[in-house]
Amino acid sequence: AFSAGSRLLRGHGGHVVIRFALGGCTNRPFFRIVAANSRRARDGKYLEQLGCLDPLPNAHGEKVAGLNLERLRYWLGCGAQLSRPAEKLLGLAGFLPLHPMTVTGAERLRRRRQREKQPEAAPEDGSAEPGTGT
Amino acid sequence: GKAAQPKPAFTDEAVQTLLYKMTGLDLHKVFRPVKKGLKPPHYKLMTEAQLEEATRKAIEEAKTKLIMPPVLNEREPIDDILAEDKVLEGTETAKYVFTDLSYSIPHRERFIVVREPNGVLRKATWEERDRMIQIFFPKEGRRVIPPTLFKDENLGTVFQQDRHEDVLNMCIAQFEPDSPDYIRVHHRTYEDIEKHGKYDLLRSTRHFGGMVWYLLNRKKTDGLLIDMINRDLLDDATSLITLYHMLHPECQSAKQAKEQKLQGVDLIKVFVKTESQREGYIQLALQAYEEAMATSSAS
Repeated sequence: AFSAGSRLLRGHGGHVVIRFALGGCTNRPFFRIVAANSRRARDGKYLEQLGCLDPLPNAHGEKVAGLNLERLRYWLGCGAQLSRPAEKLLGLAGFLPLHPMTVTGAERLRRRRQREKQPEAAPEDGSAEPGTGT
Repeated sequence: GKAAQPKPAFTDEAVQTLLYKMTGLDLHKVFRPVKKGLKPPHYKLMTEAQLEEATRKAIEEAKTKLIMPPVLNEREPIDDILAEDKVLEGTETAKYVFTDLSYSIPHRERFIVVREPNGVLRKATWEERDRMIQIFFPKEGRRVIPPTLFKDENLGTVFQQDRHEDVLNMCIAQFEPDSPDYIRVHHRTYEDIEKHGKYDLLRSTRHFGGMVWYLLNRKKTDGLLIDMINRDLLDDATSLITLYHMLHPECQSAKQAKEQKLQGVDLIKVFVKTESQREGYIQLALQAYEEAMATSSAS
């Protein structure tokens, strides 16, 4: 174990990232928001736990997330980077501005739903007349 | 208009001293055995002086146990929107609740925000706040979801078993002092005690002051007055009426008392004539008390 740690830290490369570490059981995920060396395993040894996220809604219909903003600010000040899901979560929380991919994803979803609705509307009109679908 | 001085609050020194005197200090009830782990009793052999010293220390400990829990107004609901992002509409099915877990912030100033599925980022309501704080910073005796005991239908059952004090202790552990549930449970308890006249259940506990304050503000003090006179607690009765005059200085008996500077039984008689609804009962109780005093001083 001791040599594994120093093998990771030998030489240059590797930086602090703030990302999600997956835990929990089968069909029951649970994420810990964690500051770790980027070359560590996803669920391996981390520097500090900065919060948690429960992706399944609870009895009141809410997804509970806790963020230690004080320590998050410290690590960001030390030059830590964020993973994309962590950035999106912080954008949802209001700590960072909304991630552009969240906006893009929302628009893509809306466009896909509209496209799915149109072929439903079209065959309804097309059942009266023998129409060919696109 | 009102008098020049503002209406006395629960936390005023004068009010607190009067309420504390009325609470009484029955050591046997304050240090009644609380359900703890079983330990064999501990006997000590003491001289008279040591016994007095031990009693004095016990009285000081009892004083800390009798500190009254706060009486506050109901809190205003939180209704503050931080951001509106219409783009997020329809992407999520459930709302996200974000809690700030920084250790050194007082719970009242903690940031707890909710991102709704329609994209609105708002501050969490008081109930959501209490739940989140209990999840991440659990306090002993408090549950995340309040027990069903505190619903109105179940409170009646507990009151029939005369367990008002236990209910109030659990309520203090579970709710914040300015939450509507805390105030509702307390008011229900006080109403029930006043309806059945079970004032003695709370005497010598820390809830007595709050109950007296509630009754004084609603002018329902007759039952309490009768109970005090029946138990020969004339000092408590006079302090009750003094408090009444402090709270309602514009009433008839207050003005008379101030003019004539009455003390003791005369104060009670003036109060009874002008303010109370159950004059007959109180007059009877006073007569009984005076006869008892006369016979005991004669014998």
